[in-house]
Amino acid sequence: MKHALTRRDFLRGTTLAVLGTTIGLPRLAPAQTAKSRVVLIRHPEALDENSQFNEKIIQQMLDEAVMKLVDAPDPIAAFRRLVKPEDVVGIKSNVWSYLPTPPEAEKAIKRRLLDAGVKEEAIGLDYHTVRTNPLFVKSTALINVRPLRTHYLAGMSGCIKNYIMFDVSQPAHHPDSCADLGSLFLLPQVKGKTRLNVLCVLTPQYYGRGPHNFNRRYVWNYKGLIVGRDPVAVDTIGLHLLMAKRRKELGPAQEVPPVPKHIQIADTKYGIGTSDPAKIELIKLGWAEGILI
Amino acid sequence: MNKSTLLPLGAALVLAAFAGGSVKDLGPLLPKDVAGWKAAGPDTVYDRKTIFDYLDGGAEVYLAFDLREVFVRKFKNAAGTEIALDIYDCGSPAEAFGAFTCDRQDPDAGIGQESEYGPGLLRFRHGRYFVSITTAGDEKKAEVALRELGKAVVPHLGPAGEPPALLRALPESGLKKDRTCFFHSVINLNNLLFVASENILNLELRTDCILAEYDAGGVEPARLLLVRYPDESQAQIAEQSFAKGYRPPDSGASSKTQTLARRRSNFLAIVFTAPSRDFAERLLVAVKYPQE
Repeated sequence: MKHALTRRDFLRGTTLAVLGTTIGLPRLAPAQTAKSRVVLIRHPEALDENSQFNEKIIQQMLDEAVMKLVDAPDPIAAFRRLVKPEDVVGIKSNVWSYLPTPPEAEKAIKRRLLDAGVKEEAIGLDYHTVRTNPLFVKSTALINVRPLRTHYLAGMSGCIKNYIMFDVSQPAHHPDSCADLGSLFLLPQVKGKTRLNVLCVLTPQYYGRGPHNFNRRYVWNYKGLIVGRDPVAVDTIGLHLLMAKRRKELGPAQEVPPVPKHIQIADTKYGIGTSDPAKIELIKLGWAEGILI
Repeated sequence: MNKSTLLPLGAALVLAAFAGGSVKDLGPLLPKDVAGWKAAGPDTVYDRKTIFDYLDGGAEVYLAFDLREVFVRKFKNAAGTEIALDIYDCGSPAEAFGAFTCDRQDPDAGIGQESEYGPGLLRFRHGRYFVSITTAGDEKKAEVALRELGKAVVPHLGPAGEPPALLRALPESGLKKDRTCFFHSVINLNNLLFVASENILNLELRTDCILAEYDAGGVEPARLLLVRYPDESQAQIAEQSFAKGYRPPDSGASSKTQTLARRRSNFLAIVFTAPSRDFAERLLVAVKYPQE
């Protein structure tokens, strides 16, 4: 029997060690030596008093985060380090009706892609039909953007899970707590193309109720973005945020959303990034009140 | 998409067919206008295969029960705010009890056999049906409609039904009845209490599980998990698997609590988060195992 991850493992962030020694599968990519940089940026005015998204502030947050991520002096230079003018760029967003990707975040990304020289007709935005969308089929680069929320099976819906629509069957990824979602990043249409992951934590959802796993009681105005090139590292930080919020609101027994092992397995089995907090350089920018992590 | 769009049926035919019939027969009986919300779009029925078209990521939670069909009617008000009425035919009252109790947290709403209402979410069970009525819009404005719709549905759900007999095995002293759940699958267990990332108790559709909370004199309740396996050998295997695979928390308040497991015949009982070993022992001794 393989060693089960326990609540203790998630709390300590020791899942990498546990899985690395027990799953016994080879890495599909070389081990990383440098730390994965992840930028968490927050702004108190990212949402207004009516909880409407502030497009100008969200653009500013994205710009600052990406500049820090790639150590660039301005947003256009930052995006030019991510994409080339000749790239065909698919923005993989999320349209889950209860908590979709904010259009303001999509617009902010597209604006900077255009500024970086990518032609408008070479930029696509899609949700459910990315697998057959002609622009995504011929894409040379992908930008991954979606909100953070809990999920009944996977524990957490983040940047890794956002690529599930690139596969023919979504339910095929559901067994064993969606353990193998990391394999999505090795699909031919996807492999090696992801230039940026933006996990929107503007209004994350820390808990789900009812058949639709949504209730507005469990959504809070965190007013942040988590940005990185490594989807596993980005989701690892997202998971820590969810756990911190759940511990505060629901207590220790429900701290771990069941069961987010796909994040660690994306690292240890599929080698698409790192889930080891010791190998993640988390840079926090902006508003610190209620930051939780 | 294999969902079917419903057409109105004659009321007499519906009434005749309903006792053991399909949820689609409910359509003509249910209101289409409630407290300012009107039915919008065709009714829809999903089965165990097509449910994935409706529940994005949550279907397995309900497929872990004996789900047969789901009837869905959407309502909208003048502002375009949506209410979703979902009626789940769970096959039996015991399974409907399970679907209801696995997510029970809000105050009683006095609708059907057991119910709860929290902002934007009315849930109840009646007979073999579990019903969820939700809105993602302004919860305060929708509350009257949610409650009225729930009350209007109940008379059409047939006779009431008994919860699982296994509940009678629970010790009564300190039991929090409204924090008692019935289920079969590890999906449901881990949504209630995270035990491990793997299915170390070998739970599956043929295992009957009760998870109950007990007043333990502190903030955190003790939890009793009682599992009935199909036979004694499977209970033995699960007992060994749990002993080998479970590691209690070693930080935070939960790290100071006790976990204790005992097997008897094809039953495995485990106490989690007990304040002391003595408390856990007393709870395990008090279990009233059914005569198999």
